[in-house]
Amino acid sequence: MEKKIKVLYIDDEQNNLVGFKATFRFDYTVLVAATTEVARQLLADNPDIRIILCDQRMPDQTGVQFFEEIRFKYPEPIRMLITGYTDIESVIDAINRGNIYRYIKKPWTDTDIQSAIEEGNKFYLTNNLLALKNKELQSAYDELGKFAYSVTHDMRGPLLSVSGAISIAENCTDINEIKEILGMMDSAIKKLDEFITNVHDYYSMKRGQLVFEEINFNKTLNDCVALFRIAGTMEHISFLSSVKQDVPFFSDEVTIKIVLTNLLSNAVKYQRKSVTDKFVDVNIEVNQTNAIIFVKDNGIGIHDDHINNIFDMFYRATSEEAGSGFGLYNVKDALSKLGGTIEVSSKLNEGTSFKVTIPQKANGNK
Amino acid sequence: MATNKLQHFIVIDDSKLDCFIAEKVIKNTGKCESVTSFLQAQEALEFIKQNSLNSLDPIIVLVDIQMPIMNGFEFVEAFEKLPVNTRKNYHIYVISSSINDNDLTKIPQYPSVIQFINKPLTSNNLSALLAKDK
Repeated sequence: MEKKIKVLYIDDEQNNLVGFKATFRFDYTVLVAATTEVARQLLADNPDIRIILCDQRMPDQTGVQFFEEIRFKYPEPIRMLITGYTDIESVIDAINRGNIYRYIKKPWTDTDIQSAIEEGNKFYLTNNLLALKNKELQSAYDELGKFAYSVTHDMRGPLLSVSGAISIAENCTDINEIKEILGMMDSAIKKLDEFITNVHDYYSMKRGQLVFEEINFNKTLNDCVALFRIAGTMEHISFLSSVKQDVPFFSDEVTIKIVLTNLLSNAVKYQRKSVTDKFVDVNIEVNQTNAIIFVKDNGIGIHDDHINNIFDMFYRATSEEAGSGFGLYNVKDALSKLGGTIEVSSKLNEGTSFKVTIPQKANGNK
Repeated sequence: MATNKLQHFIVIDDSKLDCFIAEKVIKNTGKCESVTSFLQAQEALEFIKQNSLNSLDPIIVLVDIQMPIMNGFEFVEAFEKLPVNTRKNYHIYVISSSINDNDLTKIPQYPSVIQFINKPLTSNNLSALLAKDK
């Protein structure tokens, strides 16, 4: 059920207020004020007021003056002036200074008011939608700016490194040193590749439609872990996992895989070299309403100073290892698409634990 | 000027490969007394504060811009707050893959930065830099 439209009515005649409230209280949430003083307080306390109706002739202030004053502080509510006087001057004033949406003549009929409120509400909703779209556009634009910036570093950087390494290798006669250079070139290229994969994830999430299907977490997790088996073996990291799923679970598998691979990748990447019992532990528990995923490691951990920023685009909390600052941003983005959440707890030099909650998409096919 | 004098170098770059390249290129000039690389700018700053090189001659610092935690600009800002006596021997050059206008216009605003150098560092542009550095 849609919430009732919140309307503020201002009139110095108590009878009018009572009458107005009595007539419209069933259809709308009605707030009334006998003075503009009270009205200002109500506006401050009720940011969800959508329509303001104000009488023109009041002792302390005219309706036009009131609107002129509040329209900058409260630009969102739709303003309507009610008056028994039909002098053209006040109409012009109301439009030019008070920037009102409607002008209602006294005595009004219920239908006048009702249709004015309905129309005003539509206008309010359209304005709000526009503001929302503008905000989205702005954030997309900001992201694009960040993105363009990082392209120079994250894509051009490894290429220039490789190019520099090639010119050194050309003048080098020691085969072992050349091999060492090749190894470093290889990791620069892998880093670039990882960045490109992340960019791909990012755009497939931005553009792609979600496909809700039944998820077998055992299989999904195995697919993801498989990507890190080799790296894990080489670094002597043991993978532990447990999956408890007795009920069918519906969600978008591609998006869940983006979450899992990024968290696993970090857990593998940010290990402490000195530790002998390196591990990555994944626990998944599925119930009727949620899937809860824990990804735990005993790696380098995250410093308190950085923990609030780790989900920001291109934020990197450590200079150890090759991070692009893209991974956790994508995780957060993916989860917001699924309506899920993520929490992190971490201790420097002890390890990090992520808790992901993904809601069940109750109805399988959409 | 003192063309045959050997110099100290400091390289600050979060990429191991780029540090390696810089070290190689620097050593190949034959004008290198020592080269010290840092993957983290804070460590380089600490190194400078401690006056670890204890050199009376100019020390060339090559610093990357985009680095996590403390980037090149933050490093320069922190450096410029050090006492004059500590920093007077350091000649700072910013080296980056950045072609971003914001970065490039920001560089001349730092009095202590002598010049911007494009990556990758090559013996040609390093020799040109050393010829001009006084």
